[in-house]
Amino acid sequence: MSAEAPENKITMKDLATENPRWCAGCGDFGIVAGLKRFIIDEQLELSNIVNVSGIGCSGRAPFYFNTYGAHTIHGRAIPFATGLALTRPDLKIFVHSGDGDSLSIGGNHLIHGINKNINCVYVMYDNELYALTKSQTSPTTRQGHKTNTQPAGSYLSPIFPLKFAIGLGVSFAASTADWMPDHFVNTLKAAYNHKGFSFVHVLQRCPHFDPLNFDHKSSDWFTFLTHDDGIPVDRRLKDKAEVAQHDPTNKTEAFNYATNDRTYFGLFFKDDQKPRYDEILQSQIQAAGEQSRTSILDAYEI
Amino acid sequence: MSAKQIHVSRFEILMDAGSGAQKAGDILITAFAHTGRYVFIEPMIPAEISPPARTKPALSGSIVRLADFDLKNIGNNTDIIIAQHEIVLDRRLDDGEHNTNVEILLDMGDQKANETSYEQVLKRCTKENLSVHPFHIVDEAKAIIKTLAGRGKNMYYIGVISAIYTLPEEFVIEEIKATFGKKLKPEILEKNIEIFHLGYVYASDNIEYSYTFKGSASATGKKVLIDGNSALSAGIIDAGFKMLSGYPITPASSIMHNLAKTFPAHGGLVHQAEDEIAAIGAAVGAYFGGVPAVTATSGPGISLKQEFIGYAAVAEIPVVIVDVQRGGPSTGLPTKTEQSDLPAVIFGSHGDHTKIVLSVGNILDCFYAPLMARYLAEKLRLPVFIMSDFQMANSYKVIDKPQINAVDNIDDIPDYILDHFWISRLPENIEMVRTNQAAPGTEDGMRRVTGLNTDETGKVNYFAGTNQRSHTVRNNKVHAVQHALKEPELFGSCQEGDLLVVGWGSTRGAIAEAVHDCQDEGLKVGGMCFRIVYPLPLMLKDIFARFKRVVTVEGAYGDDLKRTPLAMFLRSKTLVDINPMLSRATGRPIAPGPIKEGIKKTLEEMT
Repeated sequence: MSAEAPENKITMKDLATENPRWCAGCGDFGIVAGLKRFIIDEQLELSNIVNVSGIGCSGRAPFYFNTYGAHTIHGRAIPFATGLALTRPDLKIFVHSGDGDSLSIGGNHLIHGINKNINCVYVMYDNELYALTKSQTSPTTRQGHKTNTQPAGSYLSPIFPLKFAIGLGVSFAASTADWMPDHFVNTLKAAYNHKGFSFVHVLQRCPHFDPLNFDHKSSDWFTFLTHDDGIPVDRRLKDKAEVAQHDPTNKTEAFNYATNDRTYFGLFFKDDQKPRYDEILQSQIQAAGEQSRTSILDAYEI
Repeated sequence: MSAKQIHVSRFEILMDAGSGAQKAGDILITAFAHTGRYVFIEPMIPAEISPPARTKPALSGSIVRLADFDLKNIGNNTDIIIAQHEIVLDRRLDDGEHNTNVEILLDMGDQKANETSYEQVLKRCTKENLSVHPFHIVDEAKAIIKTLAGRGKNMYYIGVISAIYTLPEEFVIEEIKATFGKKLKPEILEKNIEIFHLGYVYASDNIEYSYTFKGSASATGKKVLIDGNSALSAGIIDAGFKMLSGYPITPASSIMHNLAKTFPAHGGLVHQAEDEIAAIGAAVGAYFGGVPAVTATSGPGISLKQEFIGYAAVAEIPVVIVDVQRGGPSTGLPTKTEQSDLPAVIFGSHGDHTKIVLSVGNILDCFYAPLMARYLAEKLRLPVFIMSDFQMANSYKVIDKPQINAVDNIDDIPDYILDHFWISRLPENIEMVRTNQAAPGTEDGMRRVTGLNTDETGKVNYFAGTNQRSHTVRNNKVHAVQHALKEPELFGSCQEGDLLVVGWGSTRGAIAEAVHDCQDEGLKVGGMCFRIVYPLPLMLKDIFARFKRVVTVEGAYGDDLKRTPLAMFLRSKTLVDINPMLSRATGRPIAPGPIKEGIKKTLEEMT
């Protein structure tokens, strides 16, 4: 990497903290490595980055970045990140959240994070089950998959995260996978450059509890969506996988892709005009102009 | 007719919700305050927005206490009641908060259509020996009310009350203009004033009693008329907080309403979160970013916030939580008062609990508490509660305009605030679980926080010794407060004697008044109320030892087999045999009268 950018100040070494405590072959390694690659590529100031997470395997991610970080409580990364985004617009916020954390215990917050469109990159780690608690059915577990809580096979059809996000009016929705580093980093780039709530759905392997969840060796089961304003097709897979052109401002098409049985990677949807709650609140402060606090009780004088 | 001279009096305006009874109360107390009287007002607010008229749940009203001396509480029983109709009167008589010689003024306007019902309530009054003056709004006023689509009866009642208390008309008219001048068209405003005037004339001509205050008017100087939640909101700004996050909940919402208007001009923002959990989550997130943040809620919200409260303690992120208590458990009594959340805040959140709990007992406390809370939260990096309640939040009072502190750096907290809460400045070297407490943006301070146990470097660590150390360090923060706490002031002259009455929060005014009265009668009774309720001062046992018996007064449920929260807590801290002398969870504030009775009964038992 030093060969690519010798003048770069920040290197992988600067970002290192400790060795992750994840299982061998876990997709989370790829996600952390990809985000680190992105930070280095962009040379982001490490002291201005905050990684915020909930609970679960994904919740541990902030520990492995030498940035600021908060491993919060189950499902509540978004409220914490909202407080930061509202009061510290200077910070770069990355939210790390699993499928259970995002869509089950934290589902309400995801609705409102999307709607409030606060400025952050939201990385949803989707391994289709609860792993840290040892294999229970999650909102994205495929129907029929056996878990410890639904041993005969999971009962319901899963929630589709992108359908959820686009349906709620998210301002940025993209999908990628932990085993496609090039596509993953480019996805983060697009997400980071978008100002607002950038929802990044990441398919994440879980060899320990569900080695069959995603066949990372095959590219038959997915298609890359690409466009001049989209995300380039993964460099390694561009000659192997199916590719489709998709205009990310076309919401109807985006929704169709999100609800399709086939898997699509790439930028589904982007809306640069969606108002941002954090910006609105900050602008109120600007508009009010700073008044001296000596006047705060004047209205009550008799 | 010659006016009777009095020192103190209490009246009530009872109407259907939405008829303007609270507005009437506000206008009257402001007018009284302008004449130099001390006022204290407690609105009676129905839990629903528009309950059906002429039903008991529709009762909406104002209870106003007036005096020629500084009032500490809403007082005992009512001297004058003016009621829009028999149903709200009947409902209010059920509460039993009237004097036996109460003067009731009953508007007979609804009588024609409700003869039996009126008859029954009047019978009840006769049976209970209550003096009722039935009246009809004079035709001229009725005609104007008709042109206002039935509105304006409250103006008539204001007129009647003003005449009874010989409040000069011009003071009230000025206040009506100040209240409605911008909202109503001039001709509508004139009509309202005319209705007021007709009520005034009616009472002057037809009601045989009237009152004036003996004492001279209070010294002028800058005064403010303010309720608890507004004082708390101003206190939040004064203390240098920059965010309030909340979720709509009675009776805390008015803090959010108030700050939504006032905060941006002082660099602050109001975040209405998607739920109670998100509200505290955002406050914790902001404080992690180094921005002072507070969340305000009531009992049900406290239950929901508990996990984040434990997280803030372990992650060592400061946060301030305002609990405006209402009647519980569960949804309970949203618009009534109670002090039952104490165990939930002291012992709430799973695992070992480390937090600080402040309480407010008067309006000035409400203004100071946010600054005190911010100081403790930041110095200790622990959650700090401010316990208010429905009564504190909604009662209005005239007080000397407090000094503005405009604090940014929390080390600039003035000594008088610390003295007010009977605490010394904390030592500078309070140990944290983690050495590095840098906020994001601090170069080379990069760190990760977590709810998992960590060592002093912030690394997750499950080893026995490390976990034990974390507990010790967190608890030592609370102990530092115990060491810093000074002896709470005892009311009046009695520093030792027969009986000590102990309370916390909003019962303070009533306890103080009862204890002062008993001391005036020569009884050796002391009184004490905590401003910081958790932890408690170390010399508590020594204070208790100066009295033969120690009892509590609490707005919480208790019986022979269940001790009230404060009594239970004090017993565990001191091993002194403390029982509640008065514990009530009726939803109504505790008045000085029953405390006095309790004191006398207890003293009798002791002899």
